Amino acid sequence: MSGLTLRFKAPATERITLAGITPSKLSALSSHEIANITVGIEKDGIALGDAFDISGSSGESLTIEGATPEIDFIGGDLDGGTMRVIGNVGSYAARKMSGGKLEIRGNVGDFLASGTTGGMIHVSGNVGDNLGGVVTGERFGMLGGTAVIEGNVGTRAGDKMRRGTVVVRGKTGPGTGSRMIGGTIWAEGGFGPEPGLMMRRGTLIGPSVDSLLPTFVDCGKHDLVIIRVIARYLKTTLGDLAPKPMPLFVQKIGGDTATIGRGEIILPA
Amino acid sequence: MSMTVNGITIDDTFAEAFGMSGTGIIITADSMKWAKIAATVATGFGTSVIGAGAECGIDKELTEDETPDGRPGVRILIFGFSPDALLPQVRNRIGQCVLTSPGSACYAGLKAEKSMPLGKGTRLFGDGYQTAKKLGDSRYWRVPVMDGEFVIEEETGVTTDAVGGGNMLIVGRDRKGLLETAEDAVAAIAKIDDVITPFPGGIVRSGSKVGAKYAGMHASTNDAFCPTLRGTIKHSEVSPDTLAVLEIVIDGLTSKAVADAMRAGLKAVTAIGAKRGVTRITAGNYGGKLGQHHYHLKDLI
Repeated sequence: MSGLTLRFKAPATERITLAGITPSKLSALSSHEIANITVGIEKDGIALGDAFDISGSSGESLTIEGATPEIDFIGGDLDGGTMRVIGNVGSYAARKMSGGKLEIRGNVGDFLASGTTGGMIHVSGNVGDNLGGVVTGERFGMLGGTAVIEGNVGTRAGDKMRRGTVVVRGKTGPGTGSRMIGGTIWAEGGFGPEPGLMMRRGTLIGPSVDSLLPTFVDCGKHDLVIIRVIARYLKTTLGDLAPKPMPLFVQKIGGDTATIGRGEIILPA
Repeated sequence: MSMTVNGITIDDTFAEAFGMSGTGIIITADSMKWAKIAATVATGFGTSVIGAGAECGIDKELTEDETPDGRPGVRILIFGFSPDALLPQVRNRIGQCVLTSPGSACYAGLKAEKSMPLGKGTRLFGDGYQTAKKLGDSRYWRVPVMDGEFVIEEETGVTTDAVGGGNMLIVGRDRKGLLETAEDAVAAIAKIDDVITPFPGGIVRSGSKVGAKYAGMHASTNDAFCPTLRGTIKHSEVSPDTLAVLEIVIDGLTSKAVADAMRAGLKAVTAIGAKRGVTRITAGNYGGKLGQHHYHLKDLI
């Protein structure tokens, strides 16, 4: 598979933003044009060719090596192909991503998958706050696609999330699924305190929850067909990355009844 | 020139079939028993588009590994003149027969370029308590019902390349042996994917011709193949030793599936039929001018 490799020349003198640096965009540009793309955020800017050693030829894939948390918006606007990132990255990774695959071998900052509408995100490490969360000035957080986080995630994951699926192999922080409008978060390591504040719809699935808000109510133990459909879908699309299926009977906790209360927290019965 | 296979005469003729629209739907339940009950009821009164509005049947049983929810299920096929004609048929059959059946769920059973509503209308039974779950390209509706939730996919595929009316007429001198042979043929056809035999038990005893002497009748009895009329009508097609004729009609999602089904049916009839009094196999056509698909028996033996 042909592809470009960008090796970061650390340390950076300013924050780097890689929004729109995608395989499809780079494959339409000459190597001279690629090297001249501005990726700095300060007045004079910094060119891609100054911040990174560029090798290979542009194609279906893009590899970023030696990434550091100074790099934001990695995988932003990704619409196809594969992006591989080695190292820890900053915030807003996969912002408004619509397709393709973003694989990050490292930890990720805040607001991963904000405004994402499609594609597959795989993070081998931990993720900061507001995973799939809404950005100030917008109506929704994550809008589609799938994100698999092998580690733990911070607070308020899925804030105003509308669609899409998030699988967390570790544990989520406080306030997961706050203001959630739809979509699914499956946390194999369980949920931190008080998930689902003002959650309208959507599904949180996990083995445990640290504490519940008083506005969440027990709806009883059920054999829910949709949980099996979700489990099978994840097994088909994610293979070994899929979470272990839930037991046949699950406990449904409905809420947030402080709003319309069509959301749910699904725990083993 | 007709040919003879294992003592059975195969007429040098062809089955004339028509282009139709078809859709597939997967119905699951807690057990195969209840999946089949829902599927049987949903495909009931689905023999001929002329009077039933759609031609329906069970295509095959599905194991736990083959269904979206890991429960036992069956795949049904529904055929109609056009995707628009299928719309009310699917809505009413699913709404009345699957939604109501204990423990059932309902999913797309055909991947095709075009899609049609499956649960789009039925979800409204939830009266605002229904919720959706979008996974990949599919949206599933969860309708609260008295035994839990009825899960139904929003859309299923629909094809306009389907074929309706593949057929064979089995002629015999013993009614019991003829029926048993036709049953064997239906069983052989059931093993072929993407086809159904929509008539009762897969077999029609009232084969029809186009039109009638009475105004308003679109179809009437196939008098040429009615044994009791032999002698009194000049155009009778039945020989003196013929006691009965049974027809098997086949609808399929593709022309190849219909041809494969006819081949399987013919093989079953010629394998054992002669011993049971089957004398001849022929096929129904309208001179080749009405239907786009012609299946020559000699090509399928």
